Amino acid sequence: MAKANPILKAEDLSKRYEDGILALDHLNLNVRGGEAYCLLGANGAGKTTTINLFLNFIPPTTGTCFINGIDVTRDPLEAKKYVAFVSENVMLYGNFTARQNLDFFAKLGGKPDLTKEHYYQVMRRVSLQEKAFEQRVKTFSKGMRQKLGISIAVIKDAPAILLDEPTSGLDPKAAEEFLEILDELKKEGKAILMSTHDIFRAKEIGDRVGIMKEGRLVMERTRAELQYEDLVKIYIDYMKSEPLTV
Amino acid sequence: MLKTIIRKELLENIFSFRFPLFALICVVLIPLGMFVNNAQYAKRLRDYSEQVRLADEAASGLKIQDVMAGRVALKGFRRPALLSIFAQGFENALPRYYQFTQDGYAQGESASGDESFLSTQGKFDFVFLVQMVISLIGLLFASDVISGEKESGTLRAMLSNRLPRDAILIGKIAGGFLALAAPFLVALLLGVLILLPGGFPLFSGDNPARILILALASTFFMLIYFTIGTMISTSSSKTRTSLVAILLIWSGFQLVIPKLSDMTAALLYPVRTETEVSLEKSLLINSIDTETAKELGRRYDLIFGSTPPSAADDVNSPERKKWDPLRDDIQQRARERKAQQLASIEETYQMQKRRQQNLAVNLSLISPSAAFGRFVADVCATGDLARAKYQEAVRAHQKALDNELFNKVKRTLMMHSGGRISMTFSAQPVDPKNLPKFAVAPASPGDAVKENWRSLLALAFWLIAPFAFAYVRFLRYDVR
Repeated sequence: MAKANPILKAEDLSKRYEDGILALDHLNLNVRGGEAYCLLGANGAGKTTTINLFLNFIPPTTGTCFINGIDVTRDPLEAKKYVAFVSENVMLYGNFTARQNLDFFAKLGGKPDLTKEHYYQVMRRVSLQEKAFEQRVKTFSKGMRQKLGISIAVIKDAPAILLDEPTSGLDPKAAEEFLEILDELKKEGKAILMSTHDIFRAKEIGDRVGIMKEGRLVMERTRAELQYEDLVKIYIDYMKSEPLTV
Repeated sequence: MLKTIIRKELLENIFSFRFPLFALICVVLIPLGMFVNNAQYAKRLRDYSEQVRLADEAASGLKIQDVMAGRVALKGFRRPALLSIFAQGFENALPRYYQFTQDGYAQGESASGDESFLSTQGKFDFVFLVQMVISLIGLLFASDVISGEKESGTLRAMLSNRLPRDAILIGKIAGGFLALAAPFLVALLLGVLILLPGGFPLFSGDNPARILILALASTFFMLIYFTIGTMISTSSSKTRTSLVAILLIWSGFQLVIPKLSDMTAALLYPVRTETEVSLEKSLLINSIDTETAKELGRRYDLIFGSTPPSAADDVNSPERKKWDPLRDDIQQRARERKAQQLASIEETYQMQKRRQQNLAVNLSLISPSAAFGRFVADVCATGDLARAKYQEAVRAHQKALDNELFNKVKRTLMMHSGGRISMTFSAQPVDPKNLPKFAVAPASPGDAVKENWRSLLALAFWLIAPFAFAYVRFLRYDVR
């Protein structure tokens, strides 16, 4: 059976910053619908740069990113229709309630006609407590913010979801709940690209796991391959190995 | 999309702690300033009416002998400007009256002599509030407009959507500005409403147009400062950095540049003081008068020297027939010479002053605050234009009084050989009740706009340039 076209695709993607640092070095990557791809790596390995390039936050030095077949650099606004983004510290407006935040981002995400009930449904789906719906977000815990962040992605209903270290700083229960939601989204056919430091969660959610070092994708394993290999050992070995740019 | 950003920005500002604080400042300070200034204006108006009444009484009792004796000094008072309630401008610095004599006019004292030292720091009026308080608040409101979103990461969240960057920038400026303008305009309206029970003639003459221009210009000024704040916020990644830059820029625009521009202009183009010029004029008048008196005395002695004294009194005597046209001719030439030389002194002085003022104005345009201050003071008839109109009225009144009063008396002063001095008078009847009344024609709002094209251009520049800068910076900003 022919494989479906990738929803997220990086072709020979490189990024060298103005200060000369090569943050990403010829990255090639595909994520298909219903698939979760986890990028592992130390700080500065190029994980966030990859996500920033997919979101056209920064222009690539070489190469191209595609979202749903659309060249991100050429038509960033069209490409962003098909992607939702959740970051490490979910960025929300503290003086707005959960529903107001959801309403604002839903409108930005191209859903202008949703009702309060729609928002409540989505917040229930991500297990946000009912009483928090009309509470100001500045009173929220990190776990609650993260749930609200994923509800923004859910409400946008984009085929691709980019997550930048979303479980960082979450307690195990909150992280587990978060991954359950991601798993549901994956089953709905979303293409998920998640950067993380968390090897265990990466192994749990990822259909494929890539390890990045100094801007390069140095290793990639499928879920099936990881059944026979120890991801922790592989990761630590790569981290301990000689610098690539010597 | 733009509507969504504007709405969000508006709500975010309204929910913030600073919004009620700002609304309170506006709603308390603006009407309070107007109320206090209205009371002061009413007092000045009462003083003015009383002084005009006294001056009219004195003028109606005028006798031609007083004019002959050179004892007449008529006063022309300037009516306080109604809209000084909003912008005091030169209101208290201008002379309250000018004194007119046959030798010319001299300015009376100004109202600033009654003021406290603290008033030199700026008058507490609507324009002062806009220039000093609202401008700073405008900048502070804008300090985190972009840098705050960068810091909190919400900018990344926004930009991850199908949202053009220019829509974010324009939406944020529009929403933030609306949150700022709404309480400000409500406070202005409240201030005007407070004045109405006291008889403020809101709908009389061109007052509605002037107040509307004032409101528009103030709102525009606020937008300028908000845009400058946005420009700073766009250029910095931290709100704290924005705040430091904002305070530096604000103090430069509000305090340093306007004061430095006057000082620099005075240094580059020094101008003599009015007293020096007045002294030079007096010396010239004395010198020409003395020369003329000597010439008249010499000619008189030549004609009447060997005749009996009755020949000088007999208008039909051949000596008088020779003397009268000769005297008139000498006096006419002296008058012309005097007028020409006085005009030359005045013209040179005015030209030097204009040059200095022009330089000061041009330099001050570096500050949007100075450009705004000049424009609104002219709209409220308390600025440069009002001063020029006042001086124009003074010159015209002197001319009218010369024709209607002072020139009706002809004095002939003669210095004869041997040092003897004699003086003869001839006078035409004068009706003191029909003497011209002193009045200053106010400049129209249209004149204020025309006269301030440079200020308006500078204000437009201060809106467009920071916006363009912010636009380019924001569009090129790498979100990391």
